[in-house]
Amino acid sequence: MKETTIQNIHQAILEKTNQGRTVAVATIVATKGSVPRKIGAKMLVDPGYDIVGTIGGGCGEGEVIAVAHEVIASGTPQVVHVDLTEDILSLSPAVCGGTMEVFVEAVVRS
Amino acid sequence: MIEQNKLPLSATMAAEKIVAAKKEGEAIALVLITHGPSTVLGQRIAIKKLKCGGLVKIGSFQGNDLNNQAMELAKEALESPGPQEDRFHDLTVNSGQKYKLFVEAYHPPPELIIVGAGHIAQPLSSITAMLGFNVTVIDDREEFVTRKRFPEADRLMEVDFINPFKDITVDQNSYIVLVTRGHKYDFECLRFLLRSQVEPSYIGMIGSRRRIRAAFIQLINDQLDPERIARIRAPLGLDIGSETPTEIAISVAAELVLLSRKGDGMPLSQKENIFNRFFKKG
Repeated sequence: MKETTIQNIHQAILEKTNQGRTVAVATIVATKGSVPRKIGAKMLVDPGYDIVGTIGGGCGEGEVIAVAHEVIASGTPQVVHVDLTEDILSLSPAVCGGTMEVFVEAVVRS
Repeated sequence: MIEQNKLPLSATMAAEKIVAAKKEGEAIALVLITHGPSTVLGQRIAIKKLKCGGLVKIGSFQGNDLNNQAMELAKEALESPGPQEDRFHDLTVNSGQKYKLFVEAYHPPPELIIVGAGHIAQPLSSITAMLGFNVTVIDDREEFVTRKRFPEADRLMEVDFINPFKDITVDQNSYIVLVTRGHKYDFECLRFLLRSQVEPSYIGMIGSRRRIRAAFIQLINDQLDPERIARIRAPLGLDIGSETPTEIAISVAAELVLLSRKGDGMPLSQKENIFNRFFKKG
């Protein structure tokens, strides 16, 4: 299928790193139950500048963004376990009732 | 298999390869180490599948066993263009070291060729473009294959139904819907497709039982492969009681999704049967 967003995110990785910036890329590598985005969904975090793509929004994403900053500082990738199971009947759209594993890595120009 | 460089791919190189593969219409699968010794976390290898079917290895991991197992995972992912459920793999190499590998595959969008630019083709072109197909609409009537009628199609072509696929690549990534204005043209295209060496992923043809039966008799008389005749989806689409062109387009689009996602077409409510299973007394 045409994955315009996926294509954009890879292009964004190249553009950012070509400018000499260090960014973090988060990829959903596993999910359980109902989550807002599918396995393989990616988000690029460019601290202080912007975010490209989404891995679902809400609390989970905030957690991942915090780890993105750590990963950029340390250079070591991390796997974040995101739990969205709090309240399955909650009206908040960010609560989906599942959990996911997100791989977060720092990316620099090679 | 051609080999390119002996080191793992960096994340930027991986992004470059993905962007390039998309541009070329090639498939690529990457394997990423997400768990394992900290020195190898985030390392990747990839295999690219060329249009001719050849494979190109890009990068390699340290350690033959790890590398070979990862290459196998990448190859598997390239062979199955549908959705992959198992993309996270636990793996133990000869030395006893444990790893977790994540497999990502990017396949070129499937090509849908709608033969016949009539009433059904219009909504079908819109819906399938939304589904992510690369849509081509062909007809022998120039005034029907217009941008105005098919704003979402990727390609519009005026063709001769004697040799309709002359300028179109038909391969395993192709899905073909035969909905011309006359059954005669549908049949000619169908026979053309069956005579070709490569078999597309899908051939659907519209028509009544009587006409389809007549077409099959003719194909058998022409000594075309009965197994391939049996795989033709005719009449095409799922039975959702469609009557209007839009309803028929939805039924055809639903069949395309069903095949690519390996669904069974049953109503989910009936399949899950939640009320009767959990709330019915007695």
